[in-house]
Amino acid sequence: MGHQISRRTLFRSASGIAVAGALGTSLSACSGGTGAGSTSSDLTMIWWGSDDRHAAYKKVLAAFQKKNPKIKIRPTYSGYDGYFDKFNTNIAGGSAPDLLQMDTALVAQYARKGVLAPIDSYVGKSLDLTGFSKTLLAAGTVDGKLYGVPSGIGVNQLTVNRTGLEKLGLELPDREWTWADLKKIGTDVHKKSGGKIYGVDDGGGSTLQCFEVFAREKGETFFTEDGKKLGFTADTLQEWWEYWAEMRKANASPPPAITSAAHNDLTKNAVVIGKALFTFDSGVYGAGGSITDAQLDFLPTPQGDFSGAREGNFVNGGVLLSATKASKKVADSVKIMSYFAQDETAIKDMQLLRGIPPTEKARGLIASGLTETDKLNMANADYIAQRVGKASDALAAPAPPPQGADQIWDLLFQSNLAVAFGKKSIKAQLGAFFDQSAGILEG
Amino acid sequence: MTVAKSGEVVEEQAAPATPSDQRERDRMRRRLARRRGGGWWPYAFLAPWFIGLFGLTVYPMLASLYLSFTDFDLLTPARWVGVDNYDKMFTQDPVFWDSVHATLLYVVVSVPLKLALALGVAMLLNRDLRGIGLYRAAFYLPSLLGGAVAIAIVWRQVFGGDGLFNDFLAWFGIEGQDWISSPDTAIYTLILLAVWQFGTPMVIFLAGLKQLPKDVYEAAAIDGVTPVTRFFRITLPLLTPIVFFNVVLQIIDAFKTFTPAFVISNGSGGPLNSTMLYSLYLYKKGFTDLQMGYASALAWVLFLVIAGFTAVNFIASRYWVHYDD
Repeated sequence: MGHQISRRTLFRSASGIAVAGALGTSLSACSGGTGAGSTSSDLTMIWWGSDDRHAAYKKVLAAFQKKNPKIKIRPTYSGYDGYFDKFNTNIAGGSAPDLLQMDTALVAQYARKGVLAPIDSYVGKSLDLTGFSKTLLAAGTVDGKLYGVPSGIGVNQLTVNRTGLEKLGLELPDREWTWADLKKIGTDVHKKSGGKIYGVDDGGGSTLQCFEVFAREKGETFFTEDGKKLGFTADTLQEWWEYWAEMRKANASPPPAITSAAHNDLTKNAVVIGKALFTFDSGVYGAGGSITDAQLDFLPTPQGDFSGAREGNFVNGGVLLSATKASKKVADSVKIMSYFAQDETAIKDMQLLRGIPPTEKARGLIASGLTETDKLNMANADYIAQRVGKASDALAAPAPPPQGADQIWDLLFQSNLAVAFGKKSIKAQLGAFFDQSAGILEG
Repeated sequence: MTVAKSGEVVEEQAAPATPSDQRERDRMRRRLARRRGGGWWPYAFLAPWFIGLFGLTVYPMLASLYLSFTDFDLLTPARWVGVDNYDKMFTQDPVFWDSVHATLLYVVVSVPLKLALALGVAMLLNRDLRGIGLYRAAFYLPSLLGGAVAIAIVWRQVFGGDGLFNDFLAWFGIEGQDWISSPDTAIYTLILLAVWQFGTPMVIFLAGLKQLPKDVYEAAAIDGVTPVTRFFRITLPLLTPIVFFNVVLQIIDAFKTFTPAFVISNGSGGPLNSTMLYSLYLYKKGFTDLQMGYASALAWVLFLVIAGFTAVNFIASRYWVHYDD
């Protein structure tokens, strides 16, 4: 027979390919070392954001360079997805950027690992923080040292599709509203829209904008002050998940497939796709620029309607600018931070693209040039800041979260989804959540 | 001095050499050395390969083996923890088991379907039609686009709640759902994507089919053997080495799948870890959660599992693969 396939010819090449292939991708990705800063003579700077934010950053940096021709800045920017993965890899590979936009949620983790440079010694010299409140600076303060300059006030707020509400003949709730009010209007939206639209996107798994505020209304925090444990009780989380189970049952919140699709994907957010009118995801507007055509409005996270409820809202620092420890240009980086914080044109160019500006002076500077939605956004943030400032029962703003926090936030999201999809009972999921969280925090 | 049959030079205890003998012998040695490929320069030509092998494969492998016994967060120096990572993986990490479950499901379902489709299409394309080259190219095309991020993004759109697939179902009055974001169906969209990219095994099958002896088929045709019998009694047995080759390669490939799972789930492995393929979990642990030591341990477990599967394949092949030699 003329049939030519023999064992040797086939596998001499095949086994080589197979082994090389198996090793290549699964193993070689995993080596690394600790390295020091960039070797380039330019000052490297990275940030994440929307196109609007990119443009504003570039404009401000160009103006800065005109005044400081000796400092050459090489910027790199992207969306949030993969931003910190890349940053981690760069640090491990010894090519860390000199200056970066930092997430308030991650600043403690990086500061404690020795990645970020403390900048206390520059304050009052090349770093002008006039007008920054102490509570605001807390967002960049880790273990008593300053590791980043907050770009603005960040508040937890709901973004509301006001156009949609008006179309259904519903009124925007009062800012002093409660969780029961949220349920009521959510149910109304579903009824009035003939079952086409749900009220509010499912917040059962949303930590930062949502559950954390609820826990604080109960006098509990998300993490304990030292970051070694969860600061809330199982009862609180159970009550929370039961609230959202009722919300889904009443069609005040959409079914889990819609919630799940929006995970890490703002373009699938229930408000953006027109399936809900309220969302806890600040990204729909907060990243600067809107991704829907509707007129948006803003509301504080609802208040507790149980006895002894406290003020749960708080103010944090938007995003931060931080310098890396390995960088040889920390002094230059600090100059840039100071420029962003105080220079009038920089403030005007940035508008609300990095949050509500941190100082009274800055807010005054931009007030006249804002769009309608920006004005509403700023008004609500001011309202929350003032209410929190006056409240006698509000807890201090949360300490920067510990390492592993993002895994626990993701776990909360997945847990709520498991309940919503009917894969687990609330009781069973509670046990799993606390067990796994403890494991993550132990490291 | 004599030269043995094998060509080896055998030195003898010779009489004291005269100067001319000595010169003759030196020349001989040089010539032999040249013939045996002595000298350094062949290694210089091989150097890029050696650098690649040691620098990009062997060294990183050894480094990752070491790191798998450490607590290493990429940013601060690694700390030796013994077998803690391996212990944690098997006893305390439910997501690890979710990823094992998702990956095994993916491998076990996608590989047979992909190979069956590849063989079926290869049979159809193994004939002399006008423009057959065009058809072959068309069927191979998806594989070229294979690992591309763009295709995974398209997939996400097609199987999303308002995607093309649901539009298609709507023609038949069927109301679809969001296939990507439901934990019961998400993994099957990944499997479908894998099966759709059947081009590579198909081309290999096609090459195998081309080599099958025509005379056997002619004899079978004269004896009036039906096409089905022909396939199971002639084509498939003769093709077993090729089938085996494809099975081995596709299983290895499937175990390592990363890009589509990463893109379709937006890097989350969701919903509910249902698309948390092993490589994706490994990546997340290493680069997002900063647990490179743990990720290295995961990588070694994957390596051993792939090696195990491949070994089992080779052993089992003795019973069903027929070689001509």
